[in-house]
Amino acid sequence: MPTSAVVVDSISSVGLNHYLILSAILFSLGVVGVLMRRNIIVILMSIELMLNAVNIAFVAFSRYLQNMDGQAMVFFVMTIAAAEAAVGLALATTIFKKFREVNIRYFEHLKG
Amino acid sequence: MSLSLNDILFYFLAGVAVLSALGVILQSNPIYCALSLALTMVSVAGLFASLSAWFVAGVQLIVYAGAVLVLFVMVLMLFDTKTEKRAFSKGIVSGFFKIVSAAMIFAIAGGAASMSGDARFSKLTGVVSATQSTKDLADLLFKKYLFSFEAMGALLLFIAIGAVALSRIQGGTHAD
Repeated sequence: MPTSAVVVDSISSVGLNHYLILSAILFSLGVVGVLMRRNIIVILMSIELMLNAVNIAFVAFSRYLQNMDGQAMVFFVMTIAAAEAAVGLALATTIFKKFREVNIRYFEHLKG
Repeated sequence: MSLSLNDILFYFLAGVAVLSALGVILQSNPIYCALSLALTMVSVAGLFASLSAWFVAGVQLIVYAGAVLVLFVMVLMLFDTKTEKRAFSKGIVSGFFKIVSAAMIFAIAGGAASMSGDARFSKLTGVVSATQSTKDLADLLFKKYLFSFEAMGALLLFIAIGAVALSRIQGGTHAD
């Protein structure tokens, strides 16, 4: 038998619902950030917040179903998040070079 | 109701995560937003560890708190953030509707979660050491999801090229 076995006690009152509701809270906070903020970089950060909330739900379900597929999905979400951050920050630098400010309203003037 | 060590850990990490997420969306200085986001990432990594997802927790720390956050902070340092005039979009009515729509999203997701009954985590069965779960994850990634995994590699390459091409608009970083 493995000595480093991790046994989570079943008398614990924190269940799947707790994690899912935490995930919903973080996702909604991310939505508020995307809708309310004007700074492109803070909007990107809020998107990262939303992706993290989804990851919490994935890992919680993976733990609940005792199925590792959810954790594999988390890897793909993380990769997409990193790619999205890279492109978003490149766009932000382009906007900053043109307009000297990273405000979302300059996106419509970004052509060519 | 007696709180076990796991419960205390969960409530502490969840509280830190929610408070620092509020910090991300409420603070007007983007640098403080980035630091709050780092705190959120670390507490989310702790939550992953509390769900026995050790490898994912490590990757979360390295990729998010390490790489992505450093990227954000570096780009922020590139800009003159003190010139930010308005952190939040104006308009009381539209702001009200934005908050309401976010609350509706929360109501849908949270309602679905709380109506699904009292789902408890069962004891982990079989061999559940960190080494074994990492091995299982590698098995999945390199067998079942091999094509997706390799496609991700190609995607990252294209994204890197695209990001460089985007930031070369206007003749590179030295143009002005």
